[in-house]
Amino acid sequence: MTDMTDDIRKQKRFQFTRHSPTFRLEFESTAAEMQSRCPVAWSDTYGGHWVAASHEAIFDIARESEVLSNDHDVTNTKKGYHGISIPPAQSQYRGGFLEMDPPEQREYRQTLNTYLSPAAVNRWKPFVEALTRSCLDEVIESGRLDFVDDLANIVPAVLTLAMLGLPLKDWDIYCEPAHASVYTPPESPDFPRVMQGAMLMNQRLGEAVVEIREKPRPGMINALVNAEIVGATPPDHELIGVLTLLIGGGFDTTTALTAHSLEWLSEHPAERARLSAERDTLLDGATEEFLRFYTPAQGDGRTFSADCELAGTQFKEGERLWLSWAMANRDPSVFPNPNEIDFDRHNNRHTSFGLGIHRCIGSNMARMAFKTMLTQVLDRMPDFVTDPTGAAHYETVGVINGMQHLPATFTPGPRLGASFAETLELLQRACDEQRLAEPVTVRTASAKIG
Amino acid sequence: MQAWVDPDKCQGHTLCAMRAPAIFELSDIDGHATALAGDLPASEHDAVREAAGSCPEQAITLS
Repeated sequence: MTDMTDDIRKQKRFQFTRHSPTFRLEFESTAAEMQSRCPVAWSDTYGGHWVAASHEAIFDIARESEVLSNDHDVTNTKKGYHGISIPPAQSQYRGGFLEMDPPEQREYRQTLNTYLSPAAVNRWKPFVEALTRSCLDEVIESGRLDFVDDLANIVPAVLTLAMLGLPLKDWDIYCEPAHASVYTPPESPDFPRVMQGAMLMNQRLGEAVVEIREKPRPGMINALVNAEIVGATPPDHELIGVLTLLIGGGFDTTTALTAHSLEWLSEHPAERARLSAERDTLLDGATEEFLRFYTPAQGDGRTFSADCELAGTQFKEGERLWLSWAMANRDPSVFPNPNEIDFDRHNNRHTSFGLGIHRCIGSNMARMAFKTMLTQVLDRMPDFVTDPTGAAHYETVGVINGMQHLPATFTPGPRLGASFAETLELLQRACDEQRLAEPVTVRTASAKIG
Repeated sequence: MQAWVDPDKCQGHTLCAMRAPAIFELSDIDGHATALAGDLPASEHDAVREAAGSCPEQAITLS
């Protein structure tokens, strides 16, 4: 390629401020403007970086792993790249294999795939059904709940801990920090408390790694402590980064999807009734459409590892790029009427789980947990009405398009089974006795609960 | 109609098996897809076209 001056390379410019509250409020018009005017632009914000905004550009760039790096060089011993956060996150740990490149990244995923494949995840369905049932039982007689606090925070958290091989009763140690560290900005007065919770979580994870290494029990932690990654046993601090990724990825995103979808269904009761009545044919499509529309993980940063020309733009080694999965998902050239939710949408090739080699490794778990929560809510509280004054959306969507609270009321109904606390004990026994957290290569049978 | 999943492009999104479960099989190990070999029954053609169109990686070729 002929070398251009920076002025020419970066002549399409956009002041991209995805961490500001305004960005969230003006998201649809921003996406439309960038897609028609750019769709790849240079932004001076957050240290200077490229932004890809159209589906075509993101599709063309995101899969080019030969020239894109996810590496987060926290020790500054390689090329000094900053991983997936823009601006860079100040962290002593790499964010697991999402902040690594192959072959390391591939070997971590191969270590965990047999815990998270569709066949592996399906085995947990009875577990998630019992867990969801018990969460709803806790509130069903009262006629009111908070969909985030009482349901969507709990189910993904307990399921993730079960798959990791951690004690289920510890779910609340991990739950609050996993969500609060996403929605609490550093300038918040609550930030020191949230960081303290996150430190306690990391400490517990470190202890669990040591404990499971000494006294093995099934689960993803066991696989990680026994893994050989590029010829060596990974150090504990690296494993804590991986576990933090699995917890961060497993908790906040599924909560975000579930809460937003329930809020939309409350606001669209006819669509809710149709989804409930025709769930055999609509549930899959509706799930993918909610994923597309709400895009819980809004995007990912990359660093160019070589000079290259992609999507009509010349990039230089070391430059950073934001891949906006959220904007790709609203591109009218791929999704007609992109700002409408349409359960019958065709060819819904959304990017909510990313594209290329870093596709969300927990996507099957997210879908299964979401569908279980959604169908039980439709069955047991079909007339739920969410309270717009109590609904708390994350003020900014720079990382996760999440919700902090979603209170709702509904016609009360009867309990169907044991309490949440009793169910948690029952599920723990099932994990221990049936070794549910073995990989699918060791245990193919579904969980048997109760 | 025949379908082929490019193993170098497939990343295991599983949308194809959701749209045409009779045609696309997912690996138990990593969820990556393979298509039934040979000519596909006419009754599946619409579902297979939808599967190919829904693939985020555009890994499915129809012929």
